[in-house]
Amino acid sequence: MMSQDTNTPLTDEEQAAFAALPRDADPGRLLEERTVKALRVGGLLGARRVRRTWSAAMVAAGVAASIAFFASGLAAGQWLATRTVATSIATASQENAMQVAAAVQRSGSAYVTALAALGQLSDTASAESIAQGREAALSALYAAVGELVLLAPDDPLSATIRELMDRRAGESAGANATTIRNVVWF
Amino acid sequence: MQPYGAMETHTGVNEATAGATPSDRWLADRVSRHGDEDAFRTLYGRYTPGLYRFALRVLGGNEFDAEDVVQQTWVNAVEGLDRFRWDASLRSWLFGIALNGCRGLFRRRDAGWLDLEQGPEVPAPRTSPHDRIDLEAALTRLPPGYRTVVVLHDVEGFTHEEIGERLGISPNTSKSQLSRGRRMLRLLLMPEEGHEVRV
Repeated sequence: MMSQDTNTPLTDEEQAAFAALPRDADPGRLLEERTVKALRVGGLLGARRVRRTWSAAMVAAGVAASIAFFASGLAAGQWLATRTVATSIATASQENAMQVAAAVQRSGSAYVTALAALGQLSDTASAESIAQGREAALSALYAAVGELVLLAPDDPLSATIRELMDRRAGESAGANATTIRNVVWF
Repeated sequence: MQPYGAMETHTGVNEATAGATPSDRWLADRVSRHGDEDAFRTLYGRYTPGLYRFALRVLGGNEFDAEDVVQQTWVNAVEGLDRFRWDASLRSWLFGIALNGCRGLFRRRDAGWLDLEQGPEVPAPRTSPHDRIDLEAALTRLPPGYRTVVVLHDVEGFTHEEIGERLGISPNTSKSQLSRGRRMLRLLLMPEEGHEVRV
């Protein structure tokens, strides 16, 4: 069991001592029952392991909830865009760079939070609604990368992302490619 | 309760009636697909004593922590059974999960997990000739990083490659850890004058 591939090899006596150490220990019956209970509570043990099955009504309710969430998110995003972003832009000339950077950070956090919420809906929302949300997120990302490229033309990362997204836009239907730049999401 | 304990077969389909010990894979499949509690208890009885002793050693003898690690190991394992590819043995996989649990505890307690660059202090020597300790007790006094490598290698028989893979270190680092750990153990076990070595 013990190899001697080290510069501090074990003596025969030490090897024997290690070999004599017990490999097992009984943690007691309580731990077994505690573990089984934890697995039952988690739906991992029982008459049948819990599988997610959705009835038509649950699917419909999920779709409705996801559309409502998406629509309210869109409305809130537009409102925030006209309020927060416009305010930030208007005051940008008067405020220092630190404050503008903070506004970018806040907007970015809101964007990521909204995306995370959309991701958590994946269990209940329809595929169509999720796709809409994903497309809106990509549009916002595309617009943001465009601004980043303008902000730092020498930044290879921004340029590469922009190039990849341009390629993707070109490969898709193409109809949205001209309007995608105008989406304001956060 | 080990309802499948008397059976012994590795064929799979009719193991429950074959009168043989069912394979890990068959039992795991029963747990994963059907939430079969009897199958789980069979697996639990098969591997928990080893897992518990292992966690107990790595954690320096803390029974409560070892129990928590073992419980969480089984919860994580059952959750992940669908993803287990059976490239390695179930035992090895379970030990890996338990080891991660131990590491999580060390990290949360800022126990200097595998802080190789700094090099942990050698444990304080015994204060009296009567304070001699055996190998098991000496292991508990090693710094967590050294103790883990010594337990994995010298007790559980993992290779340096396997240890490196599980701990995210190179095999050479594992060897170095083992070497230092063994030296520290010898310091702890060094006999006082007039006393014989007790390992």
